[in-house]
Amino acid sequence: MIDFQSGYILRPVSPVFIYFSLFCALMLNLLPIGNYGWVPDWLIICIVFWNIHQHRYVGVITAFILGLLMDVHNSDLLGLHAFSYSLVAYLAISWHRRIIALTVLTQALHLLPIFLLVSLFPVLAHWLLSGEIYWWALTGGIQALVEALLWPVATRILLSPQRRPIDVDHNRPI
Amino acid sequence: MLIDFRFKALDPIRNNVNWLLRPLEYVMMMPRNVFEASSEYFTSRGTLDKENQEMKVRQAELSLLANQSEFLLVENQNLRQLMDLQKQVSFKTLSVEILFNPPNAISQRIVINRGSNDGLKVGNPIANDSGILGQVVRIYDHSAEVSLLEDRDFAVPVQVARNGLRAAVFGAGRGNPLELRYLPVASDLEVGDVLITSGIDGVYPPGFAVAVISRIERNADKNSSNVFCAPIAPVNRYRQALALLYDPQWDAKASTATNNSGAPLTNTPGRRQTRTRGMQ
Repeated sequence: MIDFQSGYILRPVSPVFIYFSLFCALMLNLLPIGNYGWVPDWLIICIVFWNIHQHRYVGVITAFILGLLMDVHNSDLLGLHAFSYSLVAYLAISWHRRIIALTVLTQALHLLPIFLLVSLFPVLAHWLLSGEIYWWALTGGIQALVEALLWPVATRILLSPQRRPIDVDHNRPI
Repeated sequence: MLIDFRFKALDPIRNNVNWLLRPLEYVMMMPRNVFEASSEYFTSRGTLDKENQEMKVRQAELSLLANQSEFLLVENQNLRQLMDLQKQVSFKTLSVEILFNPPNAISQRIVINRGSNDGLKVGNPIANDSGILGQVVRIYDHSAEVSLLEDRDFAVPVQVARNGLRAAVFGAGRGNPLELRYLPVASDLEVGDVLITSGIDGVYPPGFAVAVISRIERNADKNSSNVFCAPIAPVNRYRQALALLYDPQWDAKASTATNNSGAPLTNTPGRRQTRTRGMQ
């Protein structure tokens, strides 16, 4: 795969690294930080990243299963995160050709609506089910913003194993 | 989602997923616990001394109170028996530890480390030393979810400690003060009044502190008043709490003599009388 930022061809991705990173993101989500609006959802960053870069490994079904886990952890309605994660995974996969060619900051801007959808989906579902909007929960928008800001960092970290040079000559670095 | 919302039929799935997820959660809680333990370990000797002193004074006070309350309890039970009233129900307590506060924009909940295997049931109130914290709303084998007082539309039937006025306190969502509803504008309320559980519902045992009135807005034109209160128990601070295994099933039925005579029922605070009246 081509790295559009540098123009180099990336090394092939290792599936072990993909699943390890997803597991790490899940563990980060389980950190007992507290019930605050700004705490980023690490898992959705990771899922969307792999959806865009390697949609053959991480697809809608992975997103659904991980969303189910998050539902149980967050004591939400069962299926709330599962649905929003898989919806977003579908969107990310269908947009991946367009998004991958942009610069990283523009990518973050393009992904902001996707993260907003995930953050505000509980409010939407709650509105549909009970007929009233819970305004306080709209602070979830901050979470989406934080996630979009974390996108360049995520790109840097998650692509770094593929950006390693293939032949390293220890006698002549550079 | 709809199935879960309407029928609550997916709880077995939830329980199994939880069985898988809980060890991971425990692993991720370790850094925080280690941090807290180490900061406790390194507290200075002076602090400990001071704390020790305070604890001793507090314990002396409490033991005095306990002696008196034992006496009062016996006296109260005897008097109740004399007046042919319903006896007060005793309940067991179970110490629980608050594990974490799940990130959830809609509701305000905590997860505790006791579940149905420890004898906990859905609906059991959770309290700490100062007052009611919340109520168990969903239960797993070894853990349970507790809805806090601040949760939206979380209702607790209360009584004003000063004059015995009955009302209900409603949660208004995260960060908002609790509301006292269903009271006429002319009711005798003051800022600073303590609200205690009335025990009408059979879920909360009577006499536990819930909230303090913090602000009253009376609008005479609508003949209603907006009363806001602050919870007494620090909801998001401590790690230890008590579950009150208070089961209305343990409650004996009202004696027939009480129902027949009927006369002393009117002014007695207590759960059974109110329920009988409501059913008639």
